[in-house]
Amino acid sequence: MTRTAFNLGLPAIVSFLTLLLLAAPFIGLAFATSWHSFGFTDGDGSAIAVSLCYSLLALVLIIALGTPLAWWLARHRVRGSWLIDALLLLALLTPPLAMGLLLTSMYGPYGTAGSLLERAGLALTNSGPAFVMAQFYSALPYYVIAARAAFEGVPCELEQMALTLGQSPWRSFVCVSLPLARLGLAAAIALAWVRALGEFGAVLIVAYYPQGIPVKLWVNLQNVGLSAVYPLLWVFFLIAMPLPLVLGLAARRRRLI
Amino acid sequence: MRIDYRIEQPVALHAAFDVEGFTVLLGASGEGKSLLLRAIAGLTPARGEPFDGMPAQHRAVGYLPQGYALFPHLNAWQNVAFALRGSQRRVQAMHLLERVHMAEFAERYPSTLSGGQQQRVALARALARRPQLLLLDEPTSALDPVTRDDVIAELIGEVHEFGIPALAVSHDPHLAAVADRLVLMHEQRIIQIGAPAEVYANPANGAAARLLGHRNVHRGRINGAQQLIWQDGGIAFPVNSDAFEGDVDWTIDSEAIRLVEAREGLPNAVPASIEVRHVMGRTVQLGVRCGRGRLWISVPVDQVILESAAVQLPAEAIRWWKRDS
Repeated sequence: MTRTAFNLGLPAIVSFLTLLLLAAPFIGLAFATSWHSFGFTDGDGSAIAVSLCYSLLALVLIIALGTPLAWWLARHRVRGSWLIDALLLLALLTPPLAMGLLLTSMYGPYGTAGSLLERAGLALTNSGPAFVMAQFYSALPYYVIAARAAFEGVPCELEQMALTLGQSPWRSFVCVSLPLARLGLAAAIALAWVRALGEFGAVLIVAYYPQGIPVKLWVNLQNVGLSAVYPLLWVFFLIAMPLPLVLGLAARRRRLI
Repeated sequence: MRIDYRIEQPVALHAAFDVEGFTVLLGASGEGKSLLLRAIAGLTPARGEPFDGMPAQHRAVGYLPQGYALFPHLNAWQNVAFALRGSQRRVQAMHLLERVHMAEFAERYPSTLSGGQQQRVALARALARRPQLLLLDEPTSALDPVTRDDVIAELIGEVHEFGIPALAVSHDPHLAAVADRLVLMHEQRIIQIGAPAEVYANPANGAAARLLGHRNVHRGRINGAQQLIWQDGGIAFPVNSDAFEGDVDWTIDSEAIRLVEAREGLPNAVPASIEVRHVMGRTVQLGVRCGRGRLWISVPVDQVILESAAVQLPAEAIRWWKRDS
């Protein structure tokens, strides 16, 4: 009896301690925030707008380009597919700062693609498009890998069944693959969103301006101190949290309350 | 409907036969039967008629794979309505569900339905496509043995009612026995075609007899003395051989084998030990060990089983086929 109780209780205790560890910095933040003089510095408002708008745009691009790639990778076995895996891992493991440098050397004003694009009127340094590009490169591999796993979990037979029922491959994808992969896809979107929104290193190199929240947190720390960091951080949580939270709940068909 | 398909990969296969009413293609596992159905449905590369070269979504077939592949995120009526378009799709789906006696389960999801109920929903869904041909892959494999015969009887009744030719592939002799037409496949070739009564009465060879569920099918050799030598059983017994000598497959009905007292020393009686009793209603199937081989003997349930048993195999009850090299 004691042994059973111990077996049942131990995982709960370990889980509680782990959650406590995870929560510790945020509990510290709640105490460290100076609530009576809670205020924002100049430029915090525009940083919030920049982060929100450009991250949404980057997310749309990631979903639009990453979903077909993830599905194709899940459904087709090609010779040398390990090269594709290696490419995804390469993008995943490149340190964000290094990714920023690589993007600058390719898309910067002196880069191969950058000089051509600049001539066409698209500047990929210190601009909105540059900001979105940095977020896109940072978050795309996370999305593709998670979405591929989601599509791999959908039995091929069901997609083929949809074909035998007279549906086109596109309708089969929309009516069968997408709904059945929804849990994994919701996780992939949530992952891409938090990764894009929180991106600091690559954005810092490629697009110091316009400043999004992560870069502005750094600037506030340098110029003012921690008292200017915490209020913006609370806003960051406020705008970052709803999408992954709602996606997770919707995919599991559960309600918030 | 004439089926004539040739597949190259992953196994080379050619099958040509007519589908009439409820036709069963009977073959052992690994023969490529499911592959043939997938080829007809356009899901695997192959050449042949009907539907040659058409993409899967343009082929008018109703395909029921093993396990039925109902969409788990849709309930029964939504599954049936999947192939339908327009504002009346729900009404049409409900009508089809009524025809397969599943209307009361319209709101249920596939995971909450039994194997037989899933099969009927899958049939309704396939029929919604308005197919010219129904393709059923191992339709008895996911069924509960207790209700299987009833479910199959209903399935065949529904297929006849809808009047659409159906091709079922199976390795189940029980299903073959209720077909309108039977096609036997062995080593990726069609070896016999006909009505079940004809095919069961006259299997083309030993492989056909095995497929049809004959239990006592063995390899042997007939010698010049008109004796059949059963190497596995370690015995030889007289046979009507028409002066043939060589390797054969042979069979004998389980009812024709005589169980006698070993100590009586009757001619051509071979000592045997009873391994297993399989009670089937008013008869018992006895699994009898002879050397390394086994014979199945059918006896009345009330027959006294002798302690020292021997078996006699009457020459007139033995059927044999020449074996190809």
